[in-house]
Amino acid sequence: MTRYVTTIDLRRCVGCQTCTAACKGANATPPGIQWRRVLDIETGEFPDVRRTFLPMACMHCANPPCEEVCPTKATTRRADGLVAIDYDLCIGCANCVMACPYDARSIVHAAHFSYGDQPLPSEAKGFDPARVAVSMKCSFCVDRIDEAAITGRIPGVHPEVTPACVNSCISGAMEFGDIEDPESNVSQLLARTQHYRMHEELGTEPGVYYIWNQS
Amino acid sequence: MEATKSKSVKHVPTYCYNCVSGPDFMTVKVVDGVATEVEPNFAAENVHPAKGRVCVKAYGLVQKTYNPNRILSPMKRTNPKKGRDQDPGFVPISWDEALDMLADKLKATRAKGVLDESGVPRLAASFGHGGTPAMYMGTFPAFLSAWGPIDYSFGSGQGVKCVHSEHLYGEFWHRAFTVAGDTPSARYVISLGANVESSGGPCAVTRHAEARTRGYKRVQVEPHLSVTGACSAEWVPIRPKTDPAFMFALIHVLLIEHKLDELDVPFLRDRTSSPYLVGPDGLYLRDAASRKPLLWDTVSGKAVPFDTAGAVPALSGKFPVSGAVSVDADDEVREAGSVEGVTAFTKLVEHIEKYSPEWASGVCDVPAANIRRIANEYLENASVGATTVIDGVTLPLRPVAVILGKSVNNGWGAFECCWARTVLAVLVGALENPGGTLGTTVRLNRPHDNRHKSVLPGEDGFMAQKFNATDKANWAVKPTGRNMHKTLVPIVGNTAWSQALGPTQLAWMFQREQPSADMPKPTLPDVWIIYRTNPAISFWETQTLVKTIATFPFTVAFAYTVDETNYMADLLLPEATDLESAQMIRVGGTKFMEQFWDHKGVALRQKAVDAQGDTRDFTWITTELAKRMGLLEQYNDAINRGAAGVSPLKGADYDFSLDPKAEHTPEVIWDAVCRAATTSLSEGRETRDLAWFKEHGFYTVPMSRLEWYLSPTMEKQGLRYELPYQERLLRVGRELRNRLHENKMAWWDHQLSEYVALPEWHDVPGRWDAALVNAGAKVEDYPLWLLASKSMQYHAGGNVGIELMAEVSRNIRGHDGVIMNAKTAARYGIAEGDRIEVRSHIGATYGAAVLVQGVRPDTLVILGQFDHWAQPFAKDLDRPSLNTIAPMSLELTDATGSGSDIVKVQVRKMEGHTEATA
Repeated sequence: MTRYVTTIDLRRCVGCQTCTAACKGANATPPGIQWRRVLDIETGEFPDVRRTFLPMACMHCANPPCEEVCPTKATTRRADGLVAIDYDLCIGCANCVMACPYDARSIVHAAHFSYGDQPLPSEAKGFDPARVAVSMKCSFCVDRIDEAAITGRIPGVHPEVTPACVNSCISGAMEFGDIEDPESNVSQLLARTQHYRMHEELGTEPGVYYIWNQS
Repeated sequence: MEATKSKSVKHVPTYCYNCVSGPDFMTVKVVDGVATEVEPNFAAENVHPAKGRVCVKAYGLVQKTYNPNRILSPMKRTNPKKGRDQDPGFVPISWDEALDMLADKLKATRAKGVLDESGVPRLAASFGHGGTPAMYMGTFPAFLSAWGPIDYSFGSGQGVKCVHSEHLYGEFWHRAFTVAGDTPSARYVISLGANVESSGGPCAVTRHAEARTRGYKRVQVEPHLSVTGACSAEWVPIRPKTDPAFMFALIHVLLIEHKLDELDVPFLRDRTSSPYLVGPDGLYLRDAASRKPLLWDTVSGKAVPFDTAGAVPALSGKFPVSGAVSVDADDEVREAGSVEGVTAFTKLVEHIEKYSPEWASGVCDVPAANIRRIANEYLENASVGATTVIDGVTLPLRPVAVILGKSVNNGWGAFECCWARTVLAVLVGALENPGGTLGTTVRLNRPHDNRHKSVLPGEDGFMAQKFNATDKANWAVKPTGRNMHKTLVPIVGNTAWSQALGPTQLAWMFQREQPSADMPKPTLPDVWIIYRTNPAISFWETQTLVKTIATFPFTVAFAYTVDETNYMADLLLPEATDLESAQMIRVGGTKFMEQFWDHKGVALRQKAVDAQGDTRDFTWITTELAKRMGLLEQYNDAINRGAAGVSPLKGADYDFSLDPKAEHTPEVIWDAVCRAATTSLSEGRETRDLAWFKEHGFYTVPMSRLEWYLSPTMEKQGLRYELPYQERLLRVGRELRNRLHENKMAWWDHQLSEYVALPEWHDVPGRWDAALVNAGAKVEDYPLWLLASKSMQYHAGGNVGIELMAEVSRNIRGHDGVIMNAKTAARYGIAEGDRIEVRSHIGATYGAAVLVQGVRPDTLVILGQFDHWAQPFAKDLDRPSLNTIAPMSLELTDATGSGSDIVKVQVRKMEGHTEATA
C-alpha cells in the first residue's frame, strides 16, 4: 500500500507564499484561486502576542468529507491516497466546497485572467476549459505522481515527480512521500518529531502533518 | 478557448537578482516558446545555500514578461510640459530614431564638456536597489565607464531605505558593507529591526530555518511583530528609535555587571584599540617621535608605542605618562606633559556606567529585567574561550550575533547602534569569528569580490581607510556631485559606490531649497538616465520630489512600463527584460546579506524566450549607442577591462579580449565573458563558453569557509579593529568643522555632533518632535509613529505591476492597508477595514485599517512602497505609502547623510468609506 502525504514543519515556515505562487504557476489557477496558501494567524494580546504561519491546502484525507457528499462520484480517493476530482463527472454543485472543513475547494464559473478577459500567452498555455464551473483543489500535483509510476522515480525524492509547493519551499518546511514506507523521508521525519493533523477530531484522517517540535 | 497540446517543453537555467539578497538559481519552463513557470534549479542544490530555490518574487517573472502594460517599442514625449498633471503624450518611434535622438543629445552634451560650469557632471544616472540593475543592464556599465564623470547622487532611496550607517561604519570597522550573523553556527541572535525573513533572500530564510530547528534563539527587538518577529523565539516591542539606549544597556550589563575575565580579554587586548591610552584632551597619547599611540606595557611597566615588540598591553587601568603628545585636527600637535593615560577600554567602562538597564527601561519601554536577561543570555551563549576547527585552522567559536534593520540603521541614532552592535561583538570576541557578527562584502573598498584583499595596514595599527580629505589643502570645498558627498561625508570616501551612498537625499533637497542664502542652487544635469528605479515613489516627500523631476531638461528611461518617474521622461527605451536577455553574474563568494557560500562562481542569465514586441537586449542597445556616439573603442576597452562585470577578458594566463575597434553582438561579448570567467575561476584548468553555460547555467569552484571571517586576516597583518574608542572620527569631525566654518557653512553643525569618541544617548525620538515644532506644527497633533517595513513579495522587485504579487501578498497581513494596534484603533473609533487617513505635517496617505495586537499602541506600520498614480495596475491598488508623507529634512539627516524611515503622524477614520478599497 502507498499513501502519499505532506509534512510541514511550522518552525520553518516564514509565510512567504512562495509555495502559493509556485502552485499557481504549476497549476495555472486563475486570479484569486489558490489551491494552497499560507495563513497569517495572530494569537494573544499586546505585548504577549504570537504570530504563526500555517500553510493550508487539500489534506488528501483518508476519510474525505468531500467524497461522501459528491452526488456524481466525481471526487474519489485513489489507492495512493490522493483525493482526485474527475472534471468530466463534476457538475459544480458545490456540496464538496461546503463539506470540506479545510476550505480547500473553489469553483470559478467563467474564465478570467490576470489582466482582464484575455489570457497572457503563459495563461493560454495553461488554461484548461475543463476546470471552469467545476470544483477544483490541490491535486498533490497528480500529473507528477502519475509520471512517477511510469518512470520509477520517487515522489518526494526526485523533484520532477514531487509537488511544486514542496519543491519551491525556501525554508525547507515541506516534505512529501509515502507514509506507508517506514524508510521514506516523511516516515523518518515524523518518527523523530512531534506533530499533529488539522481537525483530527473530525475523523477525516488528513494526509498533511504539521510538525511543531522534536520528539 | 481550448487547452492546447504542448509540442516542446524545455527547462532553461538562469538566475534571479531582483534584490541584493540574491542571486539565486532558478529554471524557466518554456512550452512551445512560451515561459509558463519558474521552478527551482536543483542542479545547484549542493552549491547554493538555498538549495537552488528562489523566493516568491521570481515566480512573478512569467507575468512580468507577458504583462500587457509593458512598453514594447521606443517612445518619445510629445508634450513639452512636464508634471503630474501633464499627459506626456508618448508616441512610438523606431529604434533608429530613438538611438539617434539619444546619441545626438549625448554628443551635444559631451561637446560642452563632461562637467558643467559649476564643476559637476552634465550626465546624471540613477539606478535602483543596491546595484541590482547592473545585473540586468548588460554592458551598459562599460558605456558609463567610457563616458567619464557621471553624477549618481540623485538617489532612489539610498540613505533612507537601506542600512546606510551600517554600510559606512560597517565597512570602516570591519569591512562590512553589509553585516550578518554567522547563522550556520550561531546560537543566539539579537535582531533589532532586521527583517531577514522578508528581505534576506532564500539563503537567509533557509539558514535561519535550519537554525531554528537545531534550537538557536533569536530575540527580535522592534516596535511591531514583523514576519521575522513571528519566526523568532521572543519579541521585544521597543519604543521606536530608542534602540541605542537598549544596546548601551546591554553593553552596561556586560561591562559593569560581569567580571572582566568573562569577556574575551585576548581579543580586546590584541585585536582592538582597547589598550590605547587616552589623554585628558580625549585624544590618544602618542609617542613624541613616531606619533604612534601608546599603550601600557605590563612587562616593562611603562607606556610604549602600540607596536612595541614583546609588549603585553594592559587592557584596563590608568597610568602615569610623561613626554607624550596628542595630535588633534589639522595635525595640531600638543605636548601632553605629565598626565594620566586611561586605556580606551577603561574609558568605555566609565562611559557606559550610566546606561543601566533601569535607565534604558524608561527610554525604551522595555522592562529592565528583560534587557538584563538578554544581555546575560548573549554573554552565556558567546562561550568565550571555545574554539572550532575550520579547514584545519583553529579559530574562536563565538556563536552570538547582533544584527540591525533598516530604520535602526539609518538616520539619527544609527551611528550609535552600529557602534554598540560592533562593541557587543568585540567584547566577546565575536567580531569576524565563527558564529559571530560578520561582514559579507565591501563596496566602498575594493576589490568587491574579496574583502580580505581590502585589508591593508593603515595608520595607528588599524586598517587603511580611504576617507574623503578634510585637511585644508585637499578638502573638496567645491562639490564634485550634487549631493556634496566629498564635501560633507568623509567616511563615504570617493570610490565608485561612494556618490550613491553619499547623502542622496541632499541632491533632491538642494534642488528644492538651499541650506544657506549664499549657497547657489545646484545645476540640473543636462541628461538624466534612469533604469529600474522610481524615486517618485521610492524616496520621500514624493509629491514634491516629482515636481523636481519634472524640471530635469532631458530624461531618458530604460522603461518596462510607464511609472511615476518616467512619466516625466523625454525618451523611453524598452529593454528585453529578465527572461529575454543575457548577462553573467558572480555567485557565492562574499556578497550582500547572507550570500556567503561554500562555493563561488558565476551564473548566466539567458534568453529563455523571445523578447516581447520590439524590446531589445540591453547589450545590443548599449553597443548601438556607443557606436553612434563614436565611443565604440573606449566602450570595448572597458568591456575588456571587466566593466561588464565578472572578469577582465584578459588575465595573466588567458586572453579573450574583444577587438576594440569592432562592433560585437551580445552573443560574442558574453561568450568572451563566459570564457574569461571560467578560466579565471579555475585558475586555468577549465574554459567554458556561452553554449556550455546555456545548457548548465552556472559554474562554481569550492571556497573555504575561512574566507567568511576577517579576524584571521587581521591577525596575520597584526592589525586592530578601530574599536571601542573613536579617536579618528573625533579628529575628522573637528577637522571637517574647521573647513566648513572657514567657508561660513554652519548648516551642517548638528551633523557634526555625531563625531564623538564614545557615543552618548541624545534623545533620538525627541528630534522628531523638535522637527515638528520647527516646522510650525504642534507635537500633540502627531502622537503616533509611522514606520515602513519591507515585504518579501515586493522588496526591491520593481514588481508592483504584477498581478500575481498583489494576489499572494494579500495573504500576509498589512499589504492592503495600515497596520494598527487594535486598542489604539478603538480609541479612535476605527474598525477593521475602515478607510483611514494617516497624516503627517506635510501630507496624508490613505488605506484600510488592519487591526492587530502585534504592534505597539503608539506605532503604525505600512508595508512596502505604494501610492502609485501612473503605473498601470499598481495605480489601482490603492495602497498607502509612508513615502508620501515623510519629509526630507536636513534637521533629521545624520552625519552620514541618511534619514530614518519613520515619521510622526495623526490618524482618523474617513467618513463614508468604511470598507477596504484595494
